[in-house]
Amino acid sequence: MYRTISQLDYLASLLSTWFPQFFTRLTLPESSVQGRPVYALRMRAGGGGERRGVLIVGGTHSRELMNPDAIIELAVDLLVSYALNRDIVYGGRTWRANEIRIILEALDLWLLPCSNPDGRNYVMTVDGMWRKNLRDNPDTTCDGVDLNRNADILWGVTEGQTSCSPCSDVYVGPSAFSEPETRNVKNVLDTRRIDCFVDVHSYSELVLYPWGHAPTQTVDPTERFTGLPSGTCAPIGQLGYQEYMSPQDLLRYQTVGKRVVDAIAAVRGRVYTLEPSIALYPTTGTQSDYAYGRHIADSELRKTYGFTFETGPWAGNAADSFHPADPTLIKRDTKSGILALVQQCICGIELIGSRLLGREAEVSTLRSVRDDLLGTTGPGREWIALFERVQTLLVAMVLEDQRLADAAGSLVERVGSFIQAEESTISDDDVELGTYVIRELMERSESREMRADLQAAESRLREMAGLRSREAIERLMHRGPHRGYESDYESGA
Amino acid sequence: MTPDSQQRNTSEDERRNARFEATVHPGDHQLALEAVADLDLDRIPDPDGGVRVLVTAEEAIELVWRGYEVRLLRAHAISRLNPALVPDDVSVMEWLEQQVRGIARRESE
Repeated sequence: MYRTISQLDYLASLLSTWFPQFFTRLTLPESSVQGRPVYALRMRAGGGGERRGVLIVGGTHSRELMNPDAIIELAVDLLVSYALNRDIVYGGRTWRANEIRIILEALDLWLLPCSNPDGRNYVMTVDGMWRKNLRDNPDTTCDGVDLNRNADILWGVTEGQTSCSPCSDVYVGPSAFSEPETRNVKNVLDTRRIDCFVDVHSYSELVLYPWGHAPTQTVDPTERFTGLPSGTCAPIGQLGYQEYMSPQDLLRYQTVGKRVVDAIAAVRGRVYTLEPSIALYPTTGTQSDYAYGRHIADSELRKTYGFTFETGPWAGNAADSFHPADPTLIKRDTKSGILALVQQCICGIELIGSRLLGREAEVSTLRSVRDDLLGTTGPGREWIALFERVQTLLVAMVLEDQRLADAAGSLVERVGSFIQAEESTISDDDVELGTYVIRELMERSESREMRADLQAAESRLREMAGLRSREAIERLMHRGPHRGYESDYESGA
Repeated sequence: MTPDSQQRNTSEDERRNARFEATVHPGDHQLALEAVADLDLDRIPDPDGGVRVLVTAEEAIELVWRGYEVRLLRAHAISRLNPALVPDDVSVMEWLEQQVRGIARRESE
């Protein structure tokens, strides 16, 4: 079943009225082209100020009906889990109540179930295969702008499935962010702390990451979209052009994306494909590329990892693929995938160090080591990926057990001050403290892969006793957890 | 063409305004499929990685004129979503009530 836009709005209204401790409903600044208000929900548990945030957008393309329903149902699932301390069970994937508690207490979830209310209404009342919004395009008989071609990233560059023709279903609109519906998404990105973003579409069972306009390369940082003209109504036109992404960002996309794919597969075995957006077909002006690319275009802006999901399989024909008669199972897959993305948006060190223990300076130092040193080599990035794999368990452990929270706090403090004082060395006590935390994690881990990660970390830690901070970091930069020295890695991997 | 969407009675207007789901192929002249993008068609994902589009009759004819082979697979009349797929307001409300049963809530003012 597919709820009308009025029904979706009513559910959001009831959630915020009944459960104000969890939900705040926001009327976004702009009404749709036809004057409908556009609502978002902020969901969180507990108090405090600004947090890391995830923006989840649905309904961008009108006919892709499942996702607005999935997003509002996810909000309800999260509420029930938190309030009643219940696990969420999506087929074969169980999300523990404790995992949900951490998500809601660590993050702000910004839910925009239906960014294109006019389109949804039009699909339900006039044309079930409508894709765009309902903009009246002057001097033509054609309506609508493709809201996933209207963002300000290579806007109006007609690479692949992107068009300057108002009658096209992939029409870019008269200017970047010409549409109120896309400006609403931009507004949330501009005014809230958004670290992760997903625009949920259908169909094809894909998890897409940047870029849409060109193949991704990690070697030449001078090849960036900011050097290309926009609004040309012509393709990029540079033979062999490839867009740069830093190796650490690419690794993060692949690590997080794999988690999403695994979380979906665990539900009932549907194997989504993780790939760059261009693999589906070339595009420009998409919301997820914009969300990620804006920090490149303007270094003052926060980095946001932007994904696009394409939910649901091919069902034999287009109509049944966009809106199958019973989307229940697909929505379950989708919700599990979104939860994996949300969970991966938690920064364990930031949560433990800053939020729980108030160690801002140490967290800042560790962040610099991660981004400026470890992120620059293949082995260093392997360490970052390892930490991202174990951090959810680490956070859960720290929240549950005060003794371990104290140990983790001491470890964060010790590592932070050790790095700041370049001449200090790793003592046997430091190694023992780290080993203690690692072994506690190992005892609680149900995953063979995670135990292997932790064993590798313990083994490397024991080799570091007596090293100075610079030597220790250099060793991490040149020797990964599971392989040998840097020569074992492909350059730019 | 798969006839399932034609089995019901369709008006002349519906037939004239229908979109066709079609796959596009290089044809006798082995045309590059990438150039189909230049025609600004509504391309949708194809399970086999091919070029699948939703086109009007005129657009299908244009593709053929340009030398492509076009296989019309299905007609989609321009009509609203099947109303049977949309719940009524009562059942939407009942669904939420059932989901949140047992959770303390603040009643509407």
